[in-house]
Amino acid sequence: MLFLAPFLLWFLTAASVPVLIHLINRRRHKTIQWAAMQFLLKASRESRGKKKLRHILILTCRALAIAALAFAAARPVVSGLIGWGGGAIDTVVLLMDRSASMEIKPGDGLEPRRRIVLAKVRDAMADLGGARLVLIDSASGRAQEIPSPEILDSLASTAATDTAADLPAMLTRAAEFLTETSGRSEVWLASDLQSSNWRPEDERWAAACASLMALPQKPALRVLSITGPTAANSAVRLMGSRRAGDELLFDLEIARAGEARGTVPIQLTTQLNGGRATESLTLAGQSLRFQKRIPLPAASESGYGWFSIPADGNPRDNVAFFAYGPARSTKSLVVAPAGESADYLMLAAAPPGLAGFEAARVDPAEAATAIQNELAAIIWAAPLPAGPAADALQAFLTSGGHVLFLPPGSPSAASFNELSWADPAEAPAGKFFILADWNRTDGPMRDGIAGTPIAASRLKAIRRQIPQGDASPLARWEDGEPALIRRIFDHGTAWFFGTIPDYTWSNLGDADVLLPVVQRIITAGSDRFDASYLASVGSPAARLMPGEVRTRIDDYGTRDPANAEHEAGIHRLGERLLALNRPPYEDAPEVITRETLDAILNGTNYTLLDQAGQADDPNLSRDVWRAFLTAMLLFLFSEALLCLPKKSRQEVLPQKAAASASLPSNNI
Amino acid sequence: MHDFIDNALLSRLGSLPIESRVPMMGNVAGKHRSPHRGSSVEFAEYRKYVPGDDTRRLDWKAFARSDRFYIKEFEADTNLRAYFVVDASGSMNFTGGGETKIQYARRIAAALAYLLVNQGDAAGLSVCTDKLHLEVPPSRRAAHLERFFSTLGKLEPTGETGLIAALHTIAEKIGQRAFVVILSDLFTDPAALGDALQHLRYRKHDISVFHLMDPLEIGFEFDRPHRFVDLEDGTALVAEPNLIADEYKTALRDFLTKVRAKCHDASADYQLVTTDTPLEPLLRDFLTARLPKSKH
Repeated sequence: MLFLAPFLLWFLTAASVPVLIHLINRRRHKTIQWAAMQFLLKASRESRGKKKLRHILILTCRALAIAALAFAAARPVVSGLIGWGGGAIDTVVLLMDRSASMEIKPGDGLEPRRRIVLAKVRDAMADLGGARLVLIDSASGRAQEIPSPEILDSLASTAATDTAADLPAMLTRAAEFLTETSGRSEVWLASDLQSSNWRPEDERWAAACASLMALPQKPALRVLSITGPTAANSAVRLMGSRRAGDELLFDLEIARAGEARGTVPIQLTTQLNGGRATESLTLAGQSLRFQKRIPLPAASESGYGWFSIPADGNPRDNVAFFAYGPARSTKSLVVAPAGESADYLMLAAAPPGLAGFEAARVDPAEAATAIQNELAAIIWAAPLPAGPAADALQAFLTSGGHVLFLPPGSPSAASFNELSWADPAEAPAGKFFILADWNRTDGPMRDGIAGTPIAASRLKAIRRQIPQGDASPLARWEDGEPALIRRIFDHGTAWFFGTIPDYTWSNLGDADVLLPVVQRIITAGSDRFDASYLASVGSPAARLMPGEVRTRIDDYGTRDPANAEHEAGIHRLGERLLALNRPPYEDAPEVITRETLDAILNGTNYTLLDQAGQADDPNLSRDVWRAFLTAMLLFLFSEALLCLPKKSRQEVLPQKAAASASLPSNNI
Repeated sequence: MHDFIDNALLSRLGSLPIESRVPMMGNVAGKHRSPHRGSSVEFAEYRKYVPGDDTRRLDWKAFARSDRFYIKEFEADTNLRAYFVVDASGSMNFTGGGETKIQYARRIAAALAYLLVNQGDAAGLSVCTDKLHLEVPPSRRAAHLERFFSTLGKLEPTGETGLIAALHTIAEKIGQRAFVVILSDLFTDPAALGDALQHLRYRKHDISVFHLMDPLEIGFEFDRPHRFVDLEDGTALVAEPNLIADEYKTALRDFLTKVRAKCHDASADYQLVTTDTPLEPLLRDFLTARLPKSKH
């Protein structure tokens, strides 16, 4: 609670006036000679209980009434943002989530969440008077001083974007800013609590919170949670796009809000190089994933387009852009000694009948010269490399290539980036190593686009080598040992799978597992070539390189030139053609729970304001002088009630006249 | 002339007799009933002649009819002796702005004494405090009244009440039946007061109690804290009257109820009188109520 006229709080001392008057009155008593002293003494003895309490209550009511009047005169402002414990605030740092999910509307005909919370922040700032407002928005991450809260919702730095938000980074930035700022400050964090933006597992939270709490004047942290019901909304997402010869292959998903029920038709419009086609899809359930093939006109070298659905609750998730370049074959390299295993790997890398895939095998000794950047993926079924081969492989991974390592088949002490193979192990007689669980949403063993799982349970191994080192396991054997692990190298990824397609090792060669794993790794590796045409808004690839100029060339929707780098669309960056979409995780509907919030903001003593996103709660702060005036009236009313004589107050004589004039009635 | 004597009032009340409610034993013939049989106009009974009876009172007509001697007896009338017991303790000096209780007591005592002497009865005065017990013996001479009034006029209320002791003394001291009028605020123990009244009643006295109270003592209406100083012993108490008014009135009401009950038990004629009450209607009603029913 703040006071706009705090000097009037000195009038609080006037609350002691009733007590002083009472004390003075007691001293200014009048002396009277009295006869009926025996009754007076008795009455004085008996009136020390409830009567004194009543008198104290009367005095208290009077004092509180004056105090309430003084509070009302000091113009108190109470705010969900400001809370009740505050004094004058010098600086407010507003961390504004401008991610695409903030554009959803709480209901039909209402403003998007972002605008609602901005209006509330603006009003709260107006109530705070002269507090300094510093904005750190999720898109730019820069701290920007706002000269007046009135212009808050008309700034480019608070406008809608197609970005995601990195909340831990924003809080870290706020902590950095506040180290250079003196005075009492508060950090207001306006977000829809989308889990993918908050990243609860992120280690930066602890550091950011510690930085905040280490400040000389600890800032109060207020989380303006903007959750709750929303207008009906569907989203279209491009999960992958690839050019295969003269056609484009798209993995698309159309999803709708989690609480939606029933079957709804959705119009999907495809725009390609100026041509337009609309088809009707039926969405039954929460999401629809499908693959779409679009044949390209002859001699089409490059182009762009987008998929769009009609306007709904969130206009930022109704489009998915794509771009493509010239057709190119997908090359992969199998580094393995000749043999059964190498043959199976070659078959998996370039299956007969699948056009556009090429594979070559080289012996491990020749690998250093065979590794080229144009390769989509490398399958390494040999002892881990050392020397020039290791350097070449490292460079390949760093540039974005994917490498699948398979066991060398014999004990090896070699390691690659501190990853190594354990010695070969055999299953007990009559038993097999069987995959117990694997990641069905991520990695090469994920379910198909239609939700069909791969037949990993059919894999039976009698020999295996356990990958060792710091990496994320994506599949485990029944005994809990990792079967498939992943290690990210800058832009590339290394995969380790614990058995080989050799009949003395396993039935991996049956293609139930090998083919999808190898194909997906090769596709992921080749995506970096197609990915040069596809990127997420805010990703490194979407940034301008020296000498480049950004031009948006599509004509979808309205555009904001000031926020061009934060908007989805077809962008031409110098010579590059890039389709920018909102980050895929921005569509994830999961919201962090209060417990998670407690955990990540542990130690900050933050305040969560759930009501901030409610459209029917227009103000985050209010003048509350009326409440104090009402309290004053209540105190005065209570005082009057307490002062009222008792209804049943009895007189000594029923009627004074009866005692004197009508004496016979008293005669005995 | 004393300021507590209102001649106009006395002349207006002069037509009303003061009657006793119990037979009196006077030493001269008067207008009040006597427990003795004597010569009067009121026939009482016949009884057989016994030697020693006055032969002048033989009913010869009855002798003629029955050949037996009968004595015809009549009720004897006698005079009345009244004792006015005036409480002169310090509390009687209280006034809430009007007349003091002692002054009001003076007016009642003087008026009734005048009327009594005027109808041939005797009036005496007994003044009591804890230290002082003045007495003016009853007399029916008109000249006696001046001494009566003079003593009343010189009363200076002081000290604690000695009413209970005075009543016991009077009960013991007065050999013959008398009319005892008590004028006091009765600020004493009701039980002790009851005992004293019973003592008087045992002696077959006719008792009337004028319980004098100031209107302020009953209403207890104040608008600010006061320091109350006891008129009798000087103890002081600072109090906020508004806070203790209910308890005060409850205590006073209990006290009045007890006093009334004690008077009732002793067959005393009890009057609770506030000092703002006009005297004439008070005395007129008092005297009228005492008239024998048969004479109405």
